[in-house]
Amino acid sequence: MSAFPILSRFQFDCHVKVVEAEPAQDMDALAAACAYHSIGLHVADQPGKILRIRPTTDGDDAEPWPRNMTVGEAGLKHYECIDIYFTDPGAA
Amino acid sequence: MALLDRSDWYDIARDTNWSPGFVSRDDMFPAELSDPYGIPEAEWETFDEPYKVSYREYVKVQREKDSSAYSVKAALSRSKFHDEADEGWAAVLKLHYGAVALTEYQASQFQARMVRFGPSPSMRNMATYGMLDELRHAQLQLFFPHELLPRDRQYDWAHEAAHTKNWAILGGRHAMDDIMMCRDAVTGAVMVSFAFETGLTNLQMVGLSTDAANMGDFTFANLITSIQSDEARHAQLGSPAIEIMIKNGKKKEAQLAVDVAFWRMWRLFAITVGIPMDYYIPLEQRHMSFKEFMHEWIIRQYDRQVRDLGLETPWYWDLLKDDIENHHHCQQGGIWSWRPTVWWNPPGAVGPREREWLEEKYPGWNDSFGTYWDVITDNLLNDREEKTHPECIPIICNMCQIPISNRPGPAWKARVLQLEHDGRRYNFCTEPCRWIFTTDPERYKHHESIVDRMYSGEIDPPTLDNVLTYMGIGVVSEGGRDGHDYSWVDGFRNQAAE
Repeated sequence: MSAFPILSRFQFDCHVKVVEAEPAQDMDALAAACAYHSIGLHVADQPGKILRIRPTTDGDDAEPWPRNMTVGEAGLKHYECIDIYFTDPGAA
Repeated sequence: MALLDRSDWYDIARDTNWSPGFVSRDDMFPAELSDPYGIPEAEWETFDEPYKVSYREYVKVQREKDSSAYSVKAALSRSKFHDEADEGWAAVLKLHYGAVALTEYQASQFQARMVRFGPSPSMRNMATYGMLDELRHAQLQLFFPHELLPRDRQYDWAHEAAHTKNWAILGGRHAMDDIMMCRDAVTGAVMVSFAFETGLTNLQMVGLSTDAANMGDFTFANLITSIQSDEARHAQLGSPAIEIMIKNGKKKEAQLAVDVAFWRMWRLFAITVGIPMDYYIPLEQRHMSFKEFMHEWIIRQYDRQVRDLGLETPWYWDLLKDDIENHHHCQQGGIWSWRPTVWWNPPGAVGPREREWLEEKYPGWNDSFGTYWDVITDNLLNDREEKTHPECIPIICNMCQIPISNRPGPAWKARVLQLEHDGRRYNFCTEPCRWIFTTDPERYKHHESIVDRMYSGEIDPPTLDNVLTYMGIGVVSEGGRDGHDYSWVDGFRNQAAE
């Protein structure tokens, strides 16, 4: 399976952005890909924080996927909406 | 020869109808083009528009209006107004002409449908004037920007926009096709004449004309006043249609038509009116904020009109009030960030003084939208202009075709509302946009947003250059740049120097 679009709901951003995900990519790599389109463009960086990814839910309270889990393992599909959010290193 | 008073003959002339002998009435007025609600012919004959006009009066008045509009334009054509006008005002004009000129022509075609298929003779009579009105509006708004072409190719979008697949035009076309071009005469009258024209555009034109006069653009002010005076008349086709529907047990259907159309047009209206009022018009010339305008002119009056007719306040009224403080601010950010995709030069216009004004008019603006512009401002102050151009695209709503956005910063409200239908995943910006889809999925399900087209193979390969070309950028004219060449950042630079 080749790259496909996911919807990046990046913490503090105004827009939900289309980012291409690779099935073999792990969550840290996907977070970095999403950060590239938000941090320093529309969202201020937060040095020292760790980015995590979770499914978008109404309550913003889903458990994050493990950082080394791949996009394929997480079962992400075309136009899947994900939250990318800052966490403290200890919490990550 | 003495003429009869209009009142002596008007009603009988206007209401003259006939009973077809060679075809059935159903063949002459098919339900899907005329009245899908099955309201008896006799009921439609009670249609009574509040504004009366005869053809003789119409021609006399319209000739005077046209003379005035064209003579003011001719008289001022040698002025240096456009040489000296702020680029923010030029952005207002380019956006307006591109979005509106040929939509007026479509409106003429829609009025022609009411002329032919309106189930009431008086409706057909009034729509005849509406059809001529809209034709005049199209001609005026194609002709006026034409003389500006040698100065700036972006004015060519008045003629060309409707023939392109620019994302903003896809949004306008999706909405206008929905409420105007692909509806029967009765539903269209409710959607266009009442929800759109009575609810939004008629009053907006009063404000736009005031803005133009404040800017010193008397040609445009006069043009808009001329158009508005027509709109005030033909917009009155909607209310009698709603009254007849309610009287004949079709309140639910009338409510649905009103609620769908008003939300659809609101989402576009906030961009074409809200952004100019709060960002493009220079601070000194702003006569009120978009929020003040909406509450003073639209919210109160429209809600009262809806209830006076016997309908209910739309179910999404609280969502609308929230959207008034949010939607156009988000889209100002989006349009500015993706400025090469539009046909005007949007000014960022968020210097220190403008931000102070925005905070006063929209308390909390700095804590939310300010965080977005802080990053952009920092990039511009530190010579990182390239970082103000995103390399990705925002996801687009499958109903309004507008980027899905919401309050940034700590509030972080951006959220996609999704729906699975027939194996396809649809994305929506708000509950009302998703709700509209569910009211008639068969009607909407085949349309592809500009983002869908990038992944369906219609734009192949979906490179930045290909996408821009697909949207008419670099074909009709060059795309947008910051309208003030980033001069709005100077205030921050000066603050830092102090």
